[in-house]
Amino acid sequence: MSNLFVRKATGLVRSWSVMDAFVYAFFSINLITLGLYSFSQMYYFGGGLIPALIVSAIFIFFEVIVYAALIAVMPRSGGDYVWQSRILGGAIGFILAVTGWWFILWLWVPLYGDMFRHIVLVPLLGILGAQETALWFAGTQNGAFTSSLITLVIVSVFIALGMKTYARIQKFSFYGGMLGLLIVIVLLLTGSNEAFKAGLDSNATALFGAQPGVYDATVTLGTNAGAALPFTGGGIGLIFLTLPYLVFFNLWPNWGATLYGEVRGATDFKRNITGMGAALGVTTLLGILLLYAISKTIGWEFYVQAGGAWWNYAWGFSTDAPALPVWPYPALFAAFLSTSRVVQFIVIALMSLWWFGWSGTVFLSSTRVIFAAAFDRLLPEKVAEVDERTGTPINALLLMVIPSVLVAYLFAYNIASFQTFTLCSTLVIAVTFLGTTISAIVLPYTKPDLYKASPIAKYNVLGIPLITVSGVIFGGFLVFLLYQWILDPNALYGIGYSINEAGYKNGASLIYMGSMYVLAAIIYFGFKAYRKRGGIDMDKVQAEIPVE
Amino acid sequence: MTKLFFATDIHGSDICWTKFLNAGKFYDVDVLILGGDMTGKAVVPVIHQGGKNYSITLLEQNFDVTTDEELQDMVKRVRSRGYYPYMTNPDEMAELEKDPERVHQIFLQEVLKVVQQWMDFADKKLDGTDMKVYCSPGNDDMDEVDEIVRASRRVLLVEGQVTPLDPHHEMIASGWSNRTPWDTHREEDEDQLEVRYEAMISKLKDPRNAVFNIHVPPYKSNLDEAPELDENLRPKMAGQALKPVGSTALRKVIENSQPLLGLHGHIHEGRGTSRIGKTLCINPGSMYEQGTLLGAIVALGKNKIENYVLTSG
Repeated sequence: MSNLFVRKATGLVRSWSVMDAFVYAFFSINLITLGLYSFSQMYYFGGGLIPALIVSAIFIFFEVIVYAALIAVMPRSGGDYVWQSRILGGAIGFILAVTGWWFILWLWVPLYGDMFRHIVLVPLLGILGAQETALWFAGTQNGAFTSSLITLVIVSVFIALGMKTYARIQKFSFYGGMLGLLIVIVLLLTGSNEAFKAGLDSNATALFGAQPGVYDATVTLGTNAGAALPFTGGGIGLIFLTLPYLVFFNLWPNWGATLYGEVRGATDFKRNITGMGAALGVTTLLGILLLYAISKTIGWEFYVQAGGAWWNYAWGFSTDAPALPVWPYPALFAAFLSTSRVVQFIVIALMSLWWFGWSGTVFLSSTRVIFAAAFDRLLPEKVAEVDERTGTPINALLLMVIPSVLVAYLFAYNIASFQTFTLCSTLVIAVTFLGTTISAIVLPYTKPDLYKASPIAKYNVLGIPLITVSGVIFGGFLVFLLYQWILDPNALYGIGYSINEAGYKNGASLIYMGSMYVLAAIIYFGFKAYRKRGGIDMDKVQAEIPVE
Repeated sequence: MTKLFFATDIHGSDICWTKFLNAGKFYDVDVLILGGDMTGKAVVPVIHQGGKNYSITLLEQNFDVTTDEELQDMVKRVRSRGYYPYMTNPDEMAELEKDPERVHQIFLQEVLKVVQQWMDFADKKLDGTDMKVYCSPGNDDMDEVDEIVRASRRVLLVEGQVTPLDPHHEMIASGWSNRTPWDTHREEDEDQLEVRYEAMISKLKDPRNAVFNIHVPPYKSNLDEAPELDENLRPKMAGQALKPVGSTALRKVIENSQPLLGLHGHIHEGRGTSRIGKTLCINPGSMYEQGTLLGAIVALGKNKIENYVLTSG
């Protein structure tokens, strides 16, 4: 029996494909770009990577519930910005949204650029025989900066193409990337450690001009770097201390589906949880499988040592250049198990799609926030202009590109220790997520009518709304992360002001992050005052009209 | 200077209608303009199970009501989302399953009942004020809605008309849209839309100082981006793939006439502003299901827009 009659009306659509939603969330927690990049940097941690992956996924699943629930209660609203503005106030909403979805993305550009050179440019150039160019990209500051500039061009093109086209690029990249990963895993699972050693020595020498004995030299350098990351084990305390680094990789399933159909019920809430949750679960399982395959053929200790050898030198802790002059990319190692340059090229090209299907996200969220702020008159109207011929939001793009070039320059040449700021990219967004999570926790109590008339009103845990319970768990996790990052009691992360005597007091990092919040506050309160002089009371235009 | 408040697509939400009527005083404006799509999209059966017991399924959640207070609360919840509660019983529900025409009649009856309540409320609330309220039903609104609005003392039906807003500004209005996949009440081909628009524009004294209150947004204005759908009305790419669905006819007449202001709706996700030449086009979007009245305040000056802002009330 029908329990609802709907008529033909604009916008009443059927449910979207959960598989599609899965694809976009899956690319957001990108195992090959974010995952392998962070795993390689975590060489000095003591908690097992496999249990850390599982524990982090459990906590992040509550993030999925929080976001799916907010989407169900306030769909089509504009996400974090509107949720926080409506529940916590306009100033908090604006400041946390522009810092987390716009300003900090400037820092992500050199990180995307760094991954671009290590995952796409260097291995492909090496395989194609352009050894000098490959090494220039891999090992020079100019190469790093150029890679960021190329990244900026590529993602700007994605923005110009529009979301409709980029969504198709993402989907194509998903299937191509998965095929590449399947080949990599099969190569690793069917290969042997002896074959890997032989392949590494011969290919590293032939493609990248490494000296013979790369394997043994890397083991020595990695050991000297303090490579310690265990595959499993490590104790619960050490595993938890691994999480603030690991979430650089997997804190992002909420960047996927944010759709919620009109006149739709709890099913769409579950579909969002399924899409984002499956992305988290499948990525975690794939990660475990890939790491197992790495462990089997490359050897876990060698993999961690190679990461240590690379980053210990890159971060300036050692003057001993890595014996392998390119970033230790497991897909490249897998490709070395084949002697065919064609096979190697195909594997790396397919794996490159993980980067192309993901990289557009760096500007998509930013342009949305810039537009929303302009529509709210908190930025000049000009920034939301779209070029009529190309459909490109040129001014919004410039607000991303110009600061990104500056930050990429500072990062590439490590001015003011910018290369130590990597985890700031995660911290600032985590603060934004915390604002949203607090909004979720209090929503049933501050907006009871809205909550009671929502599709999640009946989801409770021991009589407490599920959104609140999930928010408290995820919020607690975020507070733990922020405590570790900012006060860094075990001197592990290097972006805060460590309370450990031996820890790093990273004043530059704190100034960098703090200045973003100051800039956001200046924009908000500056424009608010400016609009007030023009007769617009920003408090009023965001306030609820009385219902009487 | 005339200050107007524009909201649209409130789709049967009592909360949004009340907020709309209160917006004049709240935002200190002279004119209230409601874009199209006043009527709701769903009827929620409230099934009598004997005594004071009722069962209701709202947003796929089942509720069993056993007291008058609970019933009132549930009806309020249903109305807060813009849906229409319909008191019925299991026998009638079984009949309705087999009789779509009867369901249609119930829909019409409930829609018109609420529109009548809204007009009565507006007449009462605005009595003694000089607030002007203009309304032009949209493509989702049945034709029968017009008669009820026309009978209101305080809400003026402006569909197809040229309406003077002040000595310098006139407004044309239409709730008709280009074709949609839903075959709604007021939609037609682009060439017919163009004829409709031109008929109004030709009566304007000064098109460059006019307001085009047209429900559908202009094509490729970024106010008309909607999820691309497949043949089964399922969003492609999980809704990530957006495409422009606005009216090409409207874009053409705006490009030619260059009015001061375009007020649009239709695409709830399309909240924003856009310039087509010198024309400022606004789609305030809609969050009617959450009882949030999205809108726009615009101050019309002589030959220019003095100021504007999107609101979230």
